[in-house]
Amino acid sequence: MSGPAVLELEAIRVAGRRAPRLDGVTLRLAAGERVALIGPSGAGKSTMLGVANGLISPEQGTVRWRGEPPARAGSGRRRRQQARIGTLWQDLRLIDELSVQQNINAARLASWGWPRALLNLLLPMDSAACAQLLSRLDLDPALLSQPVSALSGGQRQRVALARLLRQEPLLLLADEPLASLDPRLADELLTLLLLEAKAPRALLLSLHRPDLLSDFDRVVGLRAGRIVFDAPPGAIDPSMLQALYAGATAAPAGAA
Amino acid sequence: MRLATPLWVLAPALVLVPVFGLLPGLSHGGGWELIGQFAWAAVTPSLDPLVLGSALQGLGVTVGIALLGWAASLVLGLVLGLLSSRTVWRTLSGNAWPAEVIRRLLALPRAIHELLWGLLLLALLGLKPAVAIAAIAIPYGALVARMTSDLLDALPTRQLEALRAAGAGPIGALLTALGPPLMPQVISYGGYRLECALRSATLLGVFGLGGLGAELRLTLQSLNFRELWSGLWLLLAVMLSLEGLLGALRQRWAMPQRFVLSQGGVGRRGREMVLAGVALVPLLVGVARVLEVDPLALVQPHPLPPAPPVDWAGVAALPWPSLITNTLVLTLTAAALAVGGAPLLLLAVRPWGWGRVLVQLLWALGRLWPPPLTALLLLFVVQPGVLTGALALAFHNLGILGRLLLEASEAGGDRAGRTPAEQALEASGSGARLALLYGRYSSVASSYLAYGAYRADVILRESVVVGLVGATGLGSQLLEALSSFAWDQIAALVLAYAGLTLLGEDLSDRIRQRLLAQQHTSSSATSAIPGSPAADALPA
Amino acid sequence: MRVRERLTAVLAGLSLALLPAVVSPMPPAALAQNSPQPAQQRGLKVLRVSAIPDQNPEKLNRLYGLVATELSKQLGVSVKYVPVTDYAAAVSAFRTGDLDLVWFGGLTGVQATLQKPGARMLAQRDIDAQFYSVFIANPKSGLKPIRSINQLSELKGKRFTFGSESSTSGRLMPQYFLSQAGVKLKDFAGGAPGFSGSHDATIALVQSGAYDAGAVNEQVWKANLRSGKANRSKVFQIWRTPPYPDYMWLAQANLDQRFGKGFTTKLQKAIVGWKPSDPEQKQILVLFGAQQFTTVNPAGYKQIEQVGRQIGKIR
Repeated sequence: MSGPAVLELEAIRVAGRRAPRLDGVTLRLAAGERVALIGPSGAGKSTMLGVANGLISPEQGTVRWRGEPPARAGSGRRRRQQARIGTLWQDLRLIDELSVQQNINAARLASWGWPRALLNLLLPMDSAACAQLLSRLDLDPALLSQPVSALSGGQRQRVALARLLRQEPLLLLADEPLASLDPRLADELLTLLLLEAKAPRALLLSLHRPDLLSDFDRVVGLRAGRIVFDAPPGAIDPSMLQALYAGATAAPAGAA
Repeated sequence: MRLATPLWVLAPALVLVPVFGLLPGLSHGGGWELIGQFAWAAVTPSLDPLVLGSALQGLGVTVGIALLGWAASLVLGLVLGLLSSRTVWRTLSGNAWPAEVIRRLLALPRAIHELLWGLLLLALLGLKPAVAIAAIAIPYGALVARMTSDLLDALPTRQLEALRAAGAGPIGALLTALGPPLMPQVISYGGYRLECALRSATLLGVFGLGGLGAELRLTLQSLNFRELWSGLWLLLAVMLSLEGLLGALRQRWAMPQRFVLSQGGVGRRGREMVLAGVALVPLLVGVARVLEVDPLALVQPHPLPPAPPVDWAGVAALPWPSLITNTLVLTLTAAALAVGGAPLLLLAVRPWGWGRVLVQLLWALGRLWPPPLTALLLLFVVQPGVLTGALALAFHNLGILGRLLLEASEAGGDRAGRTPAEQALEASGSGARLALLYGRYSSVASSYLAYGAYRADVILRESVVVGLVGATGLGSQLLEALSSFAWDQIAALVLAYAGLTLLGEDLSDRIRQRLLAQQHTSSSATSAIPGSPAADALPA
Repeated sequence: MRVRERLTAVLAGLSLALLPAVVSPMPPAALAQNSPQPAQQRGLKVLRVSAIPDQNPEKLNRLYGLVATELSKQLGVSVKYVPVTDYAAAVSAFRTGDLDLVWFGGLTGVQATLQKPGARMLAQRDIDAQFYSVFIANPKSGLKPIRSINQLSELKGKRFTFGSESSTSGRLMPQYFLSQAGVKLKDFAGGAPGFSGSHDATIALVQSGAYDAGAVNEQVWKANLRSGKANRSKVFQIWRTPPYPDYMWLAQANLDQRFGKGFTTKLQKAIVGWKPSDPEQKQILVLFGAQQFTTVNPAGYKQIEQVGRQIGKIR
């Protein structure tokens, strides 16, 4: 696969307290590619996703989104760049005090000016689009007016996904989205994500479950801040996984 | 149309619309030159050793008064707190009603502002260092007492009952069961009171009760702005170090176990607390000696001022409706400006890193600068009146609320204070301001507004201090009555004040409980506002 | 954690560094206003002199420092100047016996005499039996000098400031004359007059343009003109009031008991005897703006008491 690059990381280094959190990481994601990121806790998966979505700026190395380097933080161009990067956070990062609809619409803040942003806090906005998203994700559109805090865990996960889709991103990032889900929900969510990640989009997803790798185009193994392997799922054998996770079960999570 | 949570935080700032509408009509611009001189003096304070020396001495007296008043209020408050606790009375005597009686009685000293206590005691007892200390200790003591008894009565009594059933004596059982859970909260709250005491001692000085405040006022009135700023910067340094020290100690001593490794940590902290407490005693004694405080001066029999014939008709003839209306308008305007202004300012400067530092400096100056002096300064360019007083009070309280808002909203945030939800919004391309509004204000809204409701009641009590700028309601009438030694009017006005404050307290308690109840039903773990009381119904 | 510990240490160090300011023994002047009581209890004979804070503090400190030295020299007792920052506080402190000899204004003097029967009016300046206030204005206000009291009504709608609430020459008598001209306090711009706190402050505020006009003590006004602090092109006199009695030295009734028989008379003679021929005494007289002190006719203050009652400052 070699569509236009949606994300390019080159020789990325992010310093950590003791050891670097990322060290010489290079990765290219082409449009339509779906890449799984695996590795033990503390390997640097969250840091890598943070670099990919612009939250963390690396000390060394270059980041390019669709061929462009990140614009100056806070500039309008940077905001337009960020608007095309959608992240599904491990802790979801929904705003509990707001309704489902307001949360989903929060994905549009990048393009909305103040009047619409304030109006969204007062009135139900773009109800049709939001309702459509919920049905697409198998949620009852009646939930739109509910506060997020009233939802179940699985429902919250889908609302977060709805917010992600409402953003219409080109680069989809997901930080262990399956971690807290039961196997059936995890399967469903992964299917949904993989389904949405078609060209011109690309997906980079970190996870802990080696059994779910088969539908990805590539699997990247990360350990102690370095990429250990980057191969199609078919080429991954159990010994590679064993080596990746070896002795790391009790790795300190403190670096994150 | 249902207002979403983050907007509630900003809603009070709507008061800016009428304020900006009225200000041009009230401002006269006569003294802009003076304001310019004042601002320039901030960067060119007088470094004359004589000026600095006298400012340092004044500061020493202010800090001394604050320390002694604070210490006395803690002792007084803990004792009265135990005496007004239902649990304590029930354990000791089987009856809870004496607690209720004492609790009711303590409402009065609490309802009267420390400045009023100061002026009343000054008029009765004359100029004595003990007067300023008592002026702080009495209302603060009543506040600490309420907090202590509320905390005590909210503690689960199972342990206590178990100890009693096992045959422990009542006092031993109380100490063992309730002491340990009570102490960290009392210490955290007590530390916060010391910050307040420093502000109060400065304010008392402004009205001639000793210390730096007097110099601040006199240098302002004689337009010696450079000397004024020498004192102000010194006071700022002391205030910020005190706040920093107390914040660090609070974290070290009163934080949950997160940073401390079980047993060893507890022991070390315990020793540290005891050490600090022990070190405080000689310090307090030394300060008292230097200030030549004579507590007996408070109880010595003094000739009472001759009472002129009481003129109830004259008291009744005071323009009560307008006095009370003005006081309430002043309070509500100031409260709305302060409560809504803090988040609005933060929002305005959010995109710039230095903006936050600038706002913090502004807030620190607001906390430091006694409201009557702001009022005097405002008079250079604005006509006297309710709005001028409200602006002065709002500036002071903005400093207090802003600091709390920032602390609460940045708890659990990243280096720039951003909460996770806020980071997520920024990562999806939202502007920094909208991300702040949606992602951060949503989660602090209820606890911030709950604190704001409490603050409004404090502002009502405080409105007396801007009485200087005239036509501001009960406060100005009261200052006039004090300088006329009209005891009948003074008594009536103080009672009116206390009545209003108690009503306000009741109202703000109700609002606060509703807001906090809302917060508890929402599933998010919201950070409580520090200094306001994690527990629901506490005054700070 | 380590960072926090270091921070704690730094802050603790900072506050410790400030402690000396609190703990180190301070020169008595710093605390004078707080500490008259213990001295008395120790049985030391200290005559505590004070004054209403009607002018800038540095001037008061210089003047009453000289007074304390001179009286101490003449009377052979130790004399201490106790600064007070508020007119009403001076009255209260006199009543509770914290001050022995106070330079009061007419109103505060009458208030103090009424609250402490037996207090003795010892002396006043030659100018005090016939004292004057002046109304001053900023040229930008559009006000012009006036000829009769009725023209004070031109001050209606102007931004106007008094001195202290309890000042005789800066508030009481000006308010009395204003009321004779039909001007009420709420007629001023903003619905109320300002209270600048002192005569010097009134002059500075009117000169700066913060207020259109104000009322001050004539002696302080003249002193400001002489020293150049008042700039004639920025502030000028619009009217001089009719005369009334003002300032006085008021002494406690018990001075003879405490300092020996005849002390009060000695004190009075000392003050009344100050002459321009003596260099120290001349300095004092110049700062007081007077040629000499004279004895007081208490009956002269009946007018002040009446006006005070009329305006509600005396009850």
